[in-house]
Amino acid sequence: MIEVVKRYRTAVRAAGAALVAALAIALAPPMLSAQRMLIPMDDGQTNHLKAYGLTYGAIKAGLQAEWLLNYRGGAFLLPDAPELRRRAALDGISLEPVSDGQLAAIRREMAGANMESVPLEKAPKVAVYSPPDAQPWDDAVTLALKYAGIEFTRVYDPEVEHGDLSKYDWLHLHHEDFTGQYNKFQLGYRDAPWFRELVAKNQATARQLGYTNVPALKKDVAEKIRQFVERGGFLFAMCGATETLELAIAGHDVDIAGEFADGTPIDPNADAKMNWKRSFAFKDAHLEKSPFINSMSDIDGHQVNVAGRRQPLGTFTLFNFSAKFDPVPSMLVQDHRAVLNDFYGVTTSFNKATLKNGVVILATEEGAPWTKYVHGDYGKGTWTYLGGHDPEDPQHAIGNPPTDLSLHKSSPGYRLILNNVLFPAAKKKPLKT
Amino acid sequence: MRPPRSGPAPRERLIVGVFTIAALGIGTPAMAVAQAAAPPAAQDSQQESPDVTRAIELENAGKFRDAIPLYRQAMRTNPTPIVVLGLERSYAELGMTDSLLAPLDSLLTRFPKEPLYHVVHLRSFQILRRYDAMRAAFERWVHDDPRNASPYGTYARMLIEIGQPATADSIIERGRIALGTARDLQYETAQLRAAMGDWEASARAWRQTLANDAGLASAASYALAPAPATVRPTLRTILGAAPPDRGARRALAELEITWGQPQAAWEALRVLPADTASATVWEEFGDRAMSEERYGLARDALTAAVRVRRTPALDLKAAAAALRAGSPAEVMTLAPMSEAGTDQATAARDYLPLHVGALAALGRGADAERLVAKYDKYLAPGQHERMARLLASAWVRAGDLQRARTALVAAGADADSSDAAGLLALYEGRLDVARRLLRGSQDQSAEMALVMGIVSRVRGDSAPQLGAAFLALARGDSTAAAQKFVDAVAQNPEAASALLIAAARIHAARNDAPGAIALWRRIVSEQGEAPEAAEAELEWARALRRSGDTQGAAAHLEHLILSAPQSALLPQARRELELLRGTVPPG
Repeated sequence: MIEVVKRYRTAVRAAGAALVAALAIALAPPMLSAQRMLIPMDDGQTNHLKAYGLTYGAIKAGLQAEWLLNYRGGAFLLPDAPELRRRAALDGISLEPVSDGQLAAIRREMAGANMESVPLEKAPKVAVYSPPDAQPWDDAVTLALKYAGIEFTRVYDPEVEHGDLSKYDWLHLHHEDFTGQYNKFQLGYRDAPWFRELVAKNQATARQLGYTNVPALKKDVAEKIRQFVERGGFLFAMCGATETLELAIAGHDVDIAGEFADGTPIDPNADAKMNWKRSFAFKDAHLEKSPFINSMSDIDGHQVNVAGRRQPLGTFTLFNFSAKFDPVPSMLVQDHRAVLNDFYGVTTSFNKATLKNGVVILATEEGAPWTKYVHGDYGKGTWTYLGGHDPEDPQHAIGNPPTDLSLHKSSPGYRLILNNVLFPAAKKKPLKT
Repeated sequence: MRPPRSGPAPRERLIVGVFTIAALGIGTPAMAVAQAAAPPAAQDSQQESPDVTRAIELENAGKFRDAIPLYRQAMRTNPTPIVVLGLERSYAELGMTDSLLAPLDSLLTRFPKEPLYHVVHLRSFQILRRYDAMRAAFERWVHDDPRNASPYGTYARMLIEIGQPATADSIIERGRIALGTARDLQYETAQLRAAMGDWEASARAWRQTLANDAGLASAASYALAPAPATVRPTLRTILGAAPPDRGARRALAELEITWGQPQAAWEALRVLPADTASATVWEEFGDRAMSEERYGLARDALTAAVRVRRTPALDLKAAAAALRAGSPAEVMTLAPMSEAGTDQATAARDYLPLHVGALAALGRGADAERLVAKYDKYLAPGQHERMARLLASAWVRAGDLQRARTALVAAGADADSSDAAGLLALYEGRLDVARRLLRGSQDQSAEMALVMGIVSRVRGDSAPQLGAAFLALARGDSTAAAQKFVDAVAQNPEAASALLIAAARIHAARNDAPGAIALWRRIVSEQGEAPEAAEAELEWARALRRSGDTQGAAAHLEHLILSAPQSALLPQARRELELLRGTVPPG
């Protein structure tokens, strides 16, 4: 299996490198032609997810690209280059040649509506925080990046501790438990071989890096991620990483891990000692102190692993922002569907009562006390949280087969993930609000 | 949806806990066990009072509020499992399960050792998500019946269902200590270990469980199916260990089918002792294989069953499987004509088609003709044409086209204007006749699709080389057929790509990759605009991928996608390319 994964990684790296090289060669002379290609992102698109990869590849090759917010589902405008056409044809991506006249008409239409063109300039360097032996399809973002053909590098605790985050623009976290309690999986999987192996590996890593236990290591990793954002990094997190990262940051100086994780019981006054000024999104959350309840805190609205508290899945609605005045949230919600089916994760949603003032709510469930998708600034950087594990596997459970994105080429949920990958490429404009 | 009459009340839909429990199979067998605990409704309803019968009728009519007083009255005066289950169902339909608790409590005081009442008690608390009370109900059951394994097993199953496998583990351990053995808790242990991802321990427990109850084989395979590929060899070893156990082998066979290894599934069953119980298992497997068009496996399994237990129906099924699997000679021994005895009509209806088909496949035209003549007067209307086609086919195989034609003519005007007559004309190169007769064919087979695909492309009324190619194919001489299709290109250049792809398919079917690749290459290079070019390039790429040349395969797939953007094969080509790039999970 490890060999398969190695081959997989090599193949993807090779494919990515080959594409970029091919694009660079093909497009070395400046594009003098006025012809452009419109990549529609409404229902006229046949492969929405690959379209993001095409655009990312174009930016990576130094081409000018534009993101036409709210125009045809958040379309992309690219130069009409042979290599881009070739890749679009191979990947089954719909494109429409646009003449200068047609482009002028598009721009006129956009000027008079809630639409905006955002230049995309620099392909962000992408890092995914994930164990080195994780399956490529154990994480929706990894799945999306692989499928779209966007290069990324895996980083884990040793790399973060060695300061490698400064090499990247964009960092993704998934269902890592930054409180060091292994998502409390010991409740159900205490004797499972994979769980025992997970615990042993983490403990060994903590010892190697000079920490007495796993919670101490994870807290420091969380702190370095906080600093990454503070210095201008883009953070995107899903599933359990959202909640536990916040708990680890706010609980930096508090014992918030159960006895099974660090040998000492959780501080009975932990709630009062949490320093929420340090965290990105949440405040005044209450820790779940019982080691027998599979929940971390009251941040998550759905509590999927606590039978008596579990809330059913509904739908969530993406908010519509002013593209001209709020381009960043607008970019994050570009989609061809406004209402999406919800999906469970270790952390599925975020209770509104625990959100800090100033957090931008990007999507929410009408009438529910929780929200699904939130964003905010922190220091010089930004963070975005999307609850849930896999948009196309709403009841995802351990051992489930991986999601095959070739069967979900136009997944509106996965588009939210890829919006996040692309938005750091946008040329920064001074906000008008 | 209404619950089954004798089953437990409909439980609230308990979503399998995300990330906490992976054993989706828990619900079904647990339900099966609970149902087994309840007495059969039909049997008991005859003993119920008129009021209870009336309550059941009201419940069936959806009048739960009217049924409840009758059930409750019966529960006070003459409680039976039927009454308790009826009341449970009715309250559950109205979302009033909590109202069941008080009368149930009184009932348990009167009948503390009745397991069904305790099961309903626990289930009610489970539905109400009152897990502390569920625990107390379990303790009460243990107190009431301390030497019974059921409380431990039932409660453990419910804990697994609500995502508390660790607690279930401790309950089973407690039961083992209290009872002095875990023998009666193997089923729960097996489910529990599967829920926890401890596949090896689960398989060992299943092995023991299945030794006592082979009927749980499906439950076992359902529970173990999610096991990752890395542990499957261990599970095979455990379930397949000697001596072969019928339940364990059935579970293993089910697993192999789920894991995409049907041949291994048969191997798991093949070693069972040759007795009537195994024959039943083999017959079931054979039926399934037949329905999935795995004729070789069906033949092997049904033939094994026939060796142990002969019945006319089983023999006919085995013979049909053998014929479809390409073993026509076995038809004669599996279902001999003599088996029909003196019932000539049955012989003509059930046995004759198999025997004539077998003789045709063997090219024994004279024998086939004699057999048909013997039963001619018993043939049903419509059977004559079918027999004529088979006879013609037999003579074609024997290389005697004249007698084949005679067979069709003798069968009457219908047969002489049938598909068989059209094919015969084709074999003789009379393309105009073949075209006319086959135009209205209803035959949906791949063979007829090949014929029509080529005949419609070839111009002119005569094509002897083409006829020779199809004749070689009909005779089963695939090497000659492939060469003759290639030879026919010179005389029929307008259908060159169709002829070459037909030849390439034959080479590919014979695992002759170099021969197939040579033809695919020729089609792509010489017939790049033809509709067959896309198929040729796709198959060429697949062959290269199988040989490990991923770069070559990718180049062909990319060429196909870019050069034939309107091809119906594009989704398949893109899928292959994704797999090559590793951008989608293998599978």
